[in-house]
Amino acid sequence: MTKKEITINFGAQYSVTQGVLKLILEMDGEVIQKVDPHIGLLHRGTEKLIEHKTYLQAVPYFDRLDYVSPMSQEHAFALAVEKLLKCDVPIRAQYIRVLFSELTRISNHCLNVSSNAIAVGTTTPSQWLSEQREKIMQFYEEVSGSRMHANYFRPGGVAQDLPEGLLERIEKFTHGFVKTLADVEGLLNENRIWKQRLVDIGIVEPQDAIDRAFTGPMLRGSGVPWDLRKARPYDVYDKVLFDIPVGKHGDCYDRYLVRVEEMYQSIRIIKQCINSMPNGAIKTLDCKVSPPPCTEMKESIETMIHHFKLCTEGYSVPGGEVYSAVEAPKGEFGVYLISNGENKPYRCKIRAPGFAHLQALDFIAKGHTLADLTAIIGNLDLTLGEIDR
Amino acid sequence: MDKELNKLEFLDQDSLLTKFNDTISGRGFVLAKLDELVNWARSGSLWAMPFGLSCCALEMTQCAASRHDMERFGMLFRSSPRQSDVMIVAGTLTNKMAPALRKAYDQMAEPRYVISMGSCANGGGCYHYSYSVVRGCDRIVPVDIYVPGCPPTAEALLYGILLLQRKIKRTGIIKKS
Amino acid sequence: MLSNINEYLASDIEKTLGKDRISVIESTDPVSIKISTSDLIPLLNLLKSNKLYDFKTLIDIFGVDYPSNSKRFEVNYSLLSIKHNYRVNLKIEVAEDEEVPSIVGMYNAAGWFEREVWDMYGVKFTGNSDLRRILTDYEFEGHPLRKDFPLTGHKEVRYDFEKKKIEYKDITLTQEYRNFDFKSPWKGTQYKIQKEPEKTEEKQ
Repeated sequence: MTKKEITINFGAQYSVTQGVLKLILEMDGEVIQKVDPHIGLLHRGTEKLIEHKTYLQAVPYFDRLDYVSPMSQEHAFALAVEKLLKCDVPIRAQYIRVLFSELTRISNHCLNVSSNAIAVGTTTPSQWLSEQREKIMQFYEEVSGSRMHANYFRPGGVAQDLPEGLLERIEKFTHGFVKTLADVEGLLNENRIWKQRLVDIGIVEPQDAIDRAFTGPMLRGSGVPWDLRKARPYDVYDKVLFDIPVGKHGDCYDRYLVRVEEMYQSIRIIKQCINSMPNGAIKTLDCKVSPPPCTEMKESIETMIHHFKLCTEGYSVPGGEVYSAVEAPKGEFGVYLISNGENKPYRCKIRAPGFAHLQALDFIAKGHTLADLTAIIGNLDLTLGEIDR
Repeated sequence: MDKELNKLEFLDQDSLLTKFNDTISGRGFVLAKLDELVNWARSGSLWAMPFGLSCCALEMTQCAASRHDMERFGMLFRSSPRQSDVMIVAGTLTNKMAPALRKAYDQMAEPRYVISMGSCANGGGCYHYSYSVVRGCDRIVPVDIYVPGCPPTAEALLYGILLLQRKIKRTGIIKKS
Repeated sequence: MLSNINEYLASDIEKTLGKDRISVIESTDPVSIKISTSDLIPLLNLLKSNKLYDFKTLIDIFGVDYPSNSKRFEVNYSLLSIKHNYRVNLKIEVAEDEEVPSIVGMYNAAGWFEREVWDMYGVKFTGNSDLRRILTDYEFEGHPLRKDFPLTGHKEVRYDFEKKKIEYKDITLTQEYRNFDFKSPWKGTQYKIQKEPEKTEEKQ
């Protein structure tokens, strides 16, 4: 019996969660010989647009990069600008940022587990976890006004203070969430079909993971204990206690378990943030960066001038180059910011974790069948918004 | 009874169905305008093809999830364009993706409708001035309903779907030559 | 050891490459090392294989356009050492027609990063067998992130109802990109109009 070599176009519109991804597969029967991902179908020119906007106008563009975990992207940009401005961020703002970063992590992993489950063939986890995501989106709306693209983490702090009672509502949410997550684990973890589809699929050795610039759960699933929250702590990550789950075998099942355990650790961090949330300002008091309170503006001419300058021109950032990276739910999300002293960034390079992961898809999926490819893609946690920018 | 059946668009589904059943069991047949019957059937069971491109796609999935539940309005997600009535373009349409969108639209059978969701699909959105973005998906496909927002909340999309249902109900099925 | 790594690095590089071949810029975060294109591969060999540095992860390759410089582009290589928790940034200056040796053989992750620099800036990498456009459209002309490339580009996509296919046409913007960043309110901003308004009035 002769095997036939065929080339398949794994269409541009694959799954609603990833977005537009086109794969050209060269198959030998049912086995994949080569995967050639074609990206750029969502290339919107973010970096070029950012060069034409002020620093504050650039913040919403970061929300729209990895739209599954919007606030993590803003976080990286805010940290980069603060490093260049050398302005300090109030402690309350740092706690709020960590709280919402962890909520974002839970939201992202919920969507990833549900889309992985749909790719494998089950729809129940998706129904349960999307309701949890809906609750997190409600918290986003309470604090920033928008369910998804919050535009909340600004250079200098956060945009607005937490509304009354939000911390109690988040605490109540954590109790319900832990139960739902335990239910999902009960459905999937020891499930024969789930294990058959994920165990020993897409194995990545630690040296290969490091060489191919994997970061985040992809790297930790292969056994490398590297987490930016512990290695280079930013905001108050050095003040909260949490563990980092690390996998052993480097297959899809381990990466799934790492993500589920990270959700439990995020709940732990959230509880600590709620308990130790200090009072105080939520944005830097330097009026050259953050807009002053409106009541003061009506009484003092100086605050009026600051407000006017901030709204029209924006603040100018001293010249310099800085790279700031955060541990986004998908991996290391970095922003390399080059400023030449003007009120607009000179160059803003966005380093997306999914870019390196998708590049390695050819390496991971070689020799697997077409059915395994869907499980692997779901497990890689790709979002084309950040890959294509 | 005929006059009451003529007021199709003012009745909700439940009372309509009960009156329909009463008429059938009572008289044995029903008298209705073909136009309204066909439009009621078309709008009541719209099968959608989700053309999720970027962030709006997530709000689209939230619309189909348990809280907002599109399916109670008869809407279902079908991945194939050949099996769907309406295409929801959700997200930014780029120059590279435009041919694929047109191909998917051409594969849909008549009557077909398009909902443009989000400000990127409506007119380019915050990427309007970019070099690689199509300034609105209506440059590629004809659009029936525009849902504004960035992203529009799931409720807003639901309202857009209901507006599409109303639009279908008031269109005539016989084309004037 | 971590605090002295700059000194170790500087002295090791001198031994490998020779004196005065590099300049260390400490003001950037992470530390940047400016080298010439020919020193790129030997330096990366040193940084990757030497256990003292162990820069096994290539985080990013990206370009920056300084049109006023004699060598216009600056290609940056961001490296991370997981073992020592240290980052470094290498910079090389490239002229418009100059080619850079590809590092795909050393770091497997370099392939797509180099493709992106080629797509966005037009810098060619010799040794990268798969150097084609990655982010922009298949038949795109131009390199978008160059400073002389306009924000809106030169062509846009429309559907032609007569020919029944998607085509690239010249740009027509209903409203120019408004820039309120001007020094004097009397002079206002300078708009580069891409479409002449008189022609449309004539058609009407």
